[in-house]
Amino acid sequence: MIQLTNVTKSYGTGGTVLALNNLTLQIGTAERVAVMGPSGSGKSTLLNLVCGLDEPTSGSVKVEGVELSGLTDDARTRLRREKIGMIFQTFNLLTTLTALENVALPLRLQGLSKKEAEGRARSMLARVGLADRAAHRPDELSGGERQRVAIARALIFRPPLLLGDEPTGNLDSATGEEILRLLDDLQQEYQSTLLMVTHNAQAAEFCNRIVTLHDGKIVEDVACGRGPARDKA
Amino acid sequence: MIGALWQVASRQWRTHRLRVAMTTLGIALGVAVFFAIRTANAALLDSLTLTVERLAGKSTLEVSAGEAGFPEEALDTVRATPGVQLAEPVIETIVHTAFQDEGNLLILGVDTTGDQQLRQYEFDKSQTEIADPLTYLAEPNSILLSRAFAERHGLKIGDHFPIFTSHGKKEFAVEGIFKPTGVGEVFGGNIAVMDIYSAQVVFNRGHNFDRIDLTNSPSVSVNELQQRLKARLPAGIEVARPEMKGQELENAVTAMRLGMTITSFIALLVGVYIIFNSFTIAVNQRWKEIGVLRAVGVERGNINAMFLGEAQLMGVIGSGAGIVLGYFVAAAANRAMGSIAASVYGIVTIAVAPRLHPDLVLTAFALGMAASLGGAWMPARAASYLNPILALHNIESRQKESALGWGRVALGATVLLISMLLIQFSPFGVGMEFQFSYAALQLLGLTMLLPLMVHWSARAIRPVMDRVGGSEGALAVDAMIQSPRRSAATVGALMVGLMFVYSTAAYIQSYKNMINRWTDQMLNADLMVSTSSLLRSTSYHFSEDLGKRIATLPEVKHVQDVRFTIVPYHGDTAAICAIEMDTFLVRSENAILNGNKKTAEALLPSGAGVLVSKNFAARWRLKAGNQVHLDTPTGPLDLPIVGMVEDYRSDKGTIFMERKVYKRYWNDDAVDFLDIMLKPGQNAIAVKHEIEQMTAGSEHALVYTNVEFRTWIGSLVDKFFMLSYMQLVVAVIVAVVGIANTLIISVAERRREFGIIRAIGGYQRQIRKMVLLEAFSISVVGVLVGAVAALFNIQFLSRTVSTVLAGYDVPFIFPWLLVLETFPAVVAVSLLAGWIPARHAMKAPVIEAIGYE
Repeated sequence: MIQLTNVTKSYGTGGTVLALNNLTLQIGTAERVAVMGPSGSGKSTLLNLVCGLDEPTSGSVKVEGVELSGLTDDARTRLRREKIGMIFQTFNLLTTLTALENVALPLRLQGLSKKEAEGRARSMLARVGLADRAAHRPDELSGGERQRVAIARALIFRPPLLLGDEPTGNLDSATGEEILRLLDDLQQEYQSTLLMVTHNAQAAEFCNRIVTLHDGKIVEDVACGRGPARDKA
Repeated sequence: MIGALWQVASRQWRTHRLRVAMTTLGIALGVAVFFAIRTANAALLDSLTLTVERLAGKSTLEVSAGEAGFPEEALDTVRATPGVQLAEPVIETIVHTAFQDEGNLLILGVDTTGDQQLRQYEFDKSQTEIADPLTYLAEPNSILLSRAFAERHGLKIGDHFPIFTSHGKKEFAVEGIFKPTGVGEVFGGNIAVMDIYSAQVVFNRGHNFDRIDLTNSPSVSVNELQQRLKARLPAGIEVARPEMKGQELENAVTAMRLGMTITSFIALLVGVYIIFNSFTIAVNQRWKEIGVLRAVGVERGNINAMFLGEAQLMGVIGSGAGIVLGYFVAAAANRAMGSIAASVYGIVTIAVAPRLHPDLVLTAFALGMAASLGGAWMPARAASYLNPILALHNIESRQKESALGWGRVALGATVLLISMLLIQFSPFGVGMEFQFSYAALQLLGLTMLLPLMVHWSARAIRPVMDRVGGSEGALAVDAMIQSPRRSAATVGALMVGLMFVYSTAAYIQSYKNMINRWTDQMLNADLMVSTSSLLRSTSYHFSEDLGKRIATLPEVKHVQDVRFTIVPYHGDTAAICAIEMDTFLVRSENAILNGNKKTAEALLPSGAGVLVSKNFAARWRLKAGNQVHLDTPTGPLDLPIVGMVEDYRSDKGTIFMERKVYKRYWNDDAVDFLDIMLKPGQNAIAVKHEIEQMTAGSEHALVYTNVEFRTWIGSLVDKFFMLSYMQLVVAVIVAVVGIANTLIISVAERRREFGIIRAIGGYQRQIRKMVLLEAFSISVVGVLVGAVAALFNIQFLSRTVSTVLAGYDVPFIFPWLLVLETFPAVVAVSLLAGWIPARHAMKAPVIEAIGYE
């Protein structure tokens, strides 16, 4: 599903800040991978490269076998819309839209009619347990509810790849666990690949593989038992 | 605390340089337009004052009786009055010279010997006095010229040049040349002096003087002498200080000055909208920062002070820049105003370059500051009342804008209703400035209702935008609906500009329709002859001889002499149209309103009654049956009003009376217009050419056919409205800057929103389309609310400006066609204004935008 080969990403004039340093990583279909590491280790950069929001200084990034660096901005955008669902720590909902409108937004950008888009969005909201909150705006929702809306929006296209950037970082532990369970359920239901950046060991335990970064390099890549065990259970 | 807050604020300025620059530019533009217009206004007044001073010389009092003058016997009465030190008679007239491309020449008829004690005539160094005093006094065609005029035409002493007089074109001999100082500065140097008794003859003044300029002896005060003279002279002759003439000139151009002042305030108002918008956005952008400041112990008052302090600083920079910019623009505005004063009002003055008036600098600066603080007030207050707990949470915690609060709507509706009631029922006497404040009140009410109007309009166009513009169209309109305050500020600039355009266009169109109705009823002669290319000349007239000569043409059935002049009336002025009433009644039988036609036919031809224009009746609250009392130079005249007519030649109102009565009481047989009726079947154009040949080389006569006359009247109306057209241009420019500014600010505010859309799969072109569609939606909503606002403003123009101030009954027509016609232009301008912000939005880096709070 995801293949990063010898990826280097540097910032600043003359590449003074090395965010990723000759990194190679392969993630298979339906895998659940947690990326951990201290601040500045390159976690978010990795995520930005995979979703095509950023380009590597050198090396290759492939998603579903497609080399991202060869794509135009439009093609990368289409890939992001149709193949990648993104969940952010800060939710990144549009404050002026209701929960329903936020979830329907990617479909509307795809050109679907309002009626059709909102019909599908309503089903997805129901799936994340927010059928009765559809008409509420983000400021009228709790943190957990906002993240559910963001998950619904990320999954509206049933994308094969789900990216999470500290999805529980802004939530209390009980709500965070609730969100992780939801992600777990949905990932199994859609058989999506999950790549999640987190500081949270509890969140990482929901994955079947943990990759640890330090100074832009992978320092550890281990299988984690709980995810697959739960799957089997 | 202040130092720390300033450090925080200054970082924001650095981060949001474009917003800060555009906001400051908004203030600068508003202040620049305001300052330029006020400075040009002041320069015009300076030039009026200087002209009056130069013409008045050392005079402390002036004796006059309207344009027709008064019998010369009054001079003896004045000179015999104790306390009069010096009294000199004057005839003042503006004539046409036969030089190509030459403007008019102001001729002062004076007793040169005595007058030099009053006025400053500096003769050339080579010449200490008039070349040949005896010839000068003996020959009625002798004249003294300003050096400016003489040099322009290569004239020297002894040369001759032609002038149109009441008795035809005459050659005048140059007997002296004076320097371009003192009197020589007046009228752009186009000034000449001749003997007063010669002037009486060549300009058909009979035994009348236009004015007596006098000085008081040191033992008697000016006020005391004024009272003495008033007691001795007939009531129709006025005694006033010379500066009152300046006041009269000022009054004549009041409409123009007032119009320009309104324009300047509109520019400032748009500036307020820009500030309001900018600071609303700043508060949104700095949501978290405010929360942090509140959390670390900054009080509400200091948060408020931080934002108002920023507004003050922007106000200082913007106002300063605006004053500098305005000073340079003032020169152009001054030229435009001078040109309008000359062509429309016939007032030519000494050119005075705009100068920095400290009071105007202070006023402009204070208003710039007030606009900045006023615009920032509500956003600053909102910032200080922000809940720090919510502010410290994520961006989604922001509460919905509460601009649609019903309290605000109710207050706006109440203010609007009060303004409408004031406009409808306010009497004339409360004062012009007070009445113009009704328009400000109306605008305040509309501004308070603007978020609601924007909300409704946006909801109304949403289905169309959804269908036509796709998801981007719907999102663009949603952005407006969900942020009513930001949208209102954006649309506000456009609303004010378009309201002004639509209502002014309605006013101009309705006024023209009214003039057409008037010309149909009243101006129905086959040919008309005029003394001036302006509505009338105040000083050049025909003699009755011309009418008699034209009447001898075989094609002519009848020639009617018309005198149109201004006389004093109850401390103000009124126009008199002296005409042969029997012929007038035959030609305009349907023109008489509110009166008994039989009574009119019985009384008017014998001079036992008058007709008055509707605006005269409205101004003085008169109706048919009331008496009109006139103090004429020969004594009081009381006549009953037998009916009313529509006439728009004077905004002070017109009295129509039998010509014989006018001649008798005013001792004046001059003619301003000739109305010529042809025998049936005659070719008007052929007769026009005959009259032109007859007058060529003698009278300065402009001959018009009926159609040409109407066209000419139309062109005069256009000239009169030239100022309004200029105001429209200013309003449109300021509105365009407003749109561009607010769109740039709007894009800056929505940077995160665009980033999210890009992150979840929105194309760059979709972002661009969204911004442009928002610009389109703003223009659509702007046109809608601008039209609604114009409907209210038309009530103000119709009632206050037309009926109350001018007494004109203007049947208003809303310019629906213009609204439709301007729509593509407004859309094009909005899209153009949105283009750069749209490109900026689509190119914004997504990762930074998402992380941006």
